Amino acid sequence: METIFVLLPLALLIAAIAVGLFVWAAMTGQFDDLETPAVRVLFDDEEPVAPRRVQGAAASTTGVHE
Amino acid sequence: MTPALAPAVPAPRPAPSACAHCGQPVPASLVRASEALQFCCSGCRQVHTLVSEWGFDQYYRLVDRQQGTLEPAKVSGRSFDDFDDASVQDAASETLAGDRRRTRLYLEGVHCSACVWLVEKLPTVLHGVDDVRLNYGAAVAEITWRPAEARLSTIARALDRLGYTPHVQQGARLQEARRHEDRASLVRLGVAVACAMNLMFLSGALYAGEYEGMASPYALFFRWLSLVVAVPVLTYSARPFFQTALAGLRAGVVHIDLPIAVAIAIAASASAFNVVTGQGHLWFDSLAMLVAALLGARQLQRSAQRAALERADSLRGVAFLEFARRLDGTEAEATAIEVPLTALAPGDRVEVRSGEIVPVDGVVLSGRSSLDNAVLTGEAVPVPVESGDSVHAGATNLGARLVVRVDATGPRTRVGALLAVVQEALAQKPALLQVTDRMARRFVLVLLVTAALTAVIVGALHGPGAAFTRVVALLVVSCPCALGLAVPLALSVALLRAARAGIFIKQADAFERLRHVGTVLLDKTGTLTEGRATLARWVGDDRTRHLATALEAESAHHVARAFQIGASRTLHAVPVVREVVEVNGHGIRGVVDGRAVRVGTRAHALGDAEPPADLATAAEACVLDGLSPVWVSVDGEAAGVAGIGDRLRSEAAATVAALVHRGIRVRILSGDHPSVVARVGAALGLPAGDVIGGLTPEAKRDAVAALVGTPDAGGTVVMVGDGVNDAAALALADVGIAVHGGTGASLVAADIVLTRDGVAPILDILQGSRRLAGVIRRNIAFSLVYNLSASSLAVAGLVGPLLAAVLMPLSSLTVVLSSTLTRTFARPRRRATALPEA
Repeated sequence: METIFVLLPLALLIAAIAVGLFVWAAMTGQFDDLETPAVRVLFDDEEPVAPRRVQGAAASTTGVHE
Repeated sequence: MTPALAPAVPAPRPAPSACAHCGQPVPASLVRASEALQFCCSGCRQVHTLVSEWGFDQYYRLVDRQQGTLEPAKVSGRSFDDFDDASVQDAASETLAGDRRRTRLYLEGVHCSACVWLVEKLPTVLHGVDDVRLNYGAAVAEITWRPAEARLSTIARALDRLGYTPHVQQGARLQEARRHEDRASLVRLGVAVACAMNLMFLSGALYAGEYEGMASPYALFFRWLSLVVAVPVLTYSARPFFQTALAGLRAGVVHIDLPIAVAIAIAASASAFNVVTGQGHLWFDSLAMLVAALLGARQLQRSAQRAALERADSLRGVAFLEFARRLDGTEAEATAIEVPLTALAPGDRVEVRSGEIVPVDGVVLSGRSSLDNAVLTGEAVPVPVESGDSVHAGATNLGARLVVRVDATGPRTRVGALLAVVQEALAQKPALLQVTDRMARRFVLVLLVTAALTAVIVGALHGPGAAFTRVVALLVVSCPCALGLAVPLALSVALLRAARAGIFIKQADAFERLRHVGTVLLDKTGTLTEGRATLARWVGDDRTRHLATALEAESAHHVARAFQIGASRTLHAVPVVREVVEVNGHGIRGVVDGRAVRVGTRAHALGDAEPPADLATAAEACVLDGLSPVWVSVDGEAAGVAGIGDRLRSEAAATVAALVHRGIRVRILSGDHPSVVARVGAALGLPAGDVIGGLTPEAKRDAVAALVGTPDAGGTVVMVGDGVNDAAALALADVGIAVHGGTGASLVAADIVLTRDGVAPILDILQGSRRLAGVIRRNIAFSLVYNLSASSLAVAGLVGPLLAAVLMPLSSLTVVLSSTLTRTFARPRRRATALPEA
């Protein structure tokens, strides 16, 4: 039974590490927005037309401005 | 259009073409037979073109799959030059490592989750944009970009062309502070929950030990360990309770946190004392649970309220005087550059295009148009302007392009002065005691008396030791749960329900004030009426109306727009319109499908000809009802009369009647001409004395201020409005309600913001507040019965600590169920719009 003197503080230490991780997650803003990530996960990766990384895209947008 | 009719009556025509972007029917006049894809407006065409050009067609599949519906897209066509100005950018940006910047833009038109996909695809097509994250709820995009390779105006133009008009987020500092506070309170809650769970295990062992026997070194070890685990809860998580209690005491106010802080302090020190002395009961587990439950309830209320606050912050100033289009160069060849308002000097020339808001006070140099002053003055009828006339910032240009000489900008404009009045009114608004604070006073008294009685009686019977134990038990299990959980839980559930029903409540204490409403003050233009000229009446056949609508489609005049509003979604054969001539101030004429059509004043449409008697009577009836009659002639013969005016909302009369039926005095305060307002009042059946027109914004504010708190008001004064001219009155009333489509100023000033059309939600608000009061009363009764019976048993020494520890969560559970199961706010039958539009 004496082992509990070691095991219990050890368990609490592990709990403390978990709390520490939670604090880190909260403070880096991972719980700021609870709505969008739930939506984002629904998007598939299927891309029927490969998005073209066009250098000229910026220029084509500039074209709107007249 | 009416879904109920659709299955019963099969469409007589072939299926109308649906817009390739939004899926709405395309008006006949816009159908282009030569093209495969049809669009209902130029906004949809631009967005769809860009989406397919960039290979983002998957967007439409995502919309379909999520059963989302699209609205016709709005593209502002701005150049966003002003976004490149450091003074504009800096408020919402921060510089990151590696020469990158992160900028937050509020996006108008974010409506479904597919928008998240589309907006976040931007980095794949825009050079110099590293990352885009869209917060769907707040409609704020966080954009990481490299200033060396891209300009913010380019990014903004891309967003605009995708149908999301961007605005540099306002009040960013305030939001930063609030976000930090949110994170800290979440951490407090997390720590409290984690510690409470571990304390329960330790206490469970100790309880079991009390019944079955536990060797003393183990018991001692467990007790000390409990103390160690309880320390973070008491010193960190529970700190806000001590802070507010102390702050309240310094200000001479009994705050709800005071009894909670006292209970925590006494129970914690008693437990710590018992750990050191090695005998007596420990309350650490109950304490930690209590702190966790209270923080949890507050976190809920916070997140429920945050949605409304965040929107109000983002909308502060949005769509209202952000930029001006300055004309540089000579009169003949001027170039227009969009600049922030601060960059303007008196004497500069600015251009105001059709549909835009006049950004400055000034004088028209060239152009001829009509201005809608409704948000400024409450006048529903547009005012014609031409060169030499003075114009005010905030008016909407309904007609053609104007060039305006700048006289004053920002706070020196008339609207700037009005906004200063709003700020002043907001500062003057008395801070009302929260409902819980007032109850706290009574509770503290009851609690002190009970505790004193317990101490005296138990002390006399069992000695001081037992008396102390039982007083602590009483403090821990009875009061705080009732006060700390019953009220915030009921409030947060009601706030969330209200938000789902299109009612955003910024301050939860508005509920308390809404229980005894004595007077409801209503603005007219935009609140009781639709706030824009529409085709309120039509006398004549459909064919004539169709011809007139086709002709008016060629004009930008406000009467022409009124024709389009009623007609834009009805489909007829494509008419051919030729030889259009607009006669300013009189009307328009042209040849439609080979027939000569004239629309306008009687003289313009008919010349000297005498109209048929029925049309003449109809025209007179229009004038009597406050509508402007517009004549239509086909091939020289009078064929129809249209009544153009600002129509009463369909549900306005029923809402006013329901309010009056409840014994609430309804009054109208309007800035429009007294005769117009009197007619609206009469149509709603209100006594003439309660219908006041011709009020300046300051007079409106004074009228509200004079009424609040007087016996004449008969209770709480509620102000309902939408314009800048209502904002000060909204701020000063006991409860201000901004209706859907209100200006940014009214959204900031009001306590409650509606995102559902019309005034009917006012009734929902009143009903919901009454039900909420019932829920709160019931919750308090529940927890009182539970806790008083449990604690009186504890006082009598009949309940062991284990049973007490089980009873407390049970009472909390009852409160949670009671709060969530009651319908305070019903879901509206129609879908609420997701975001208030400025």
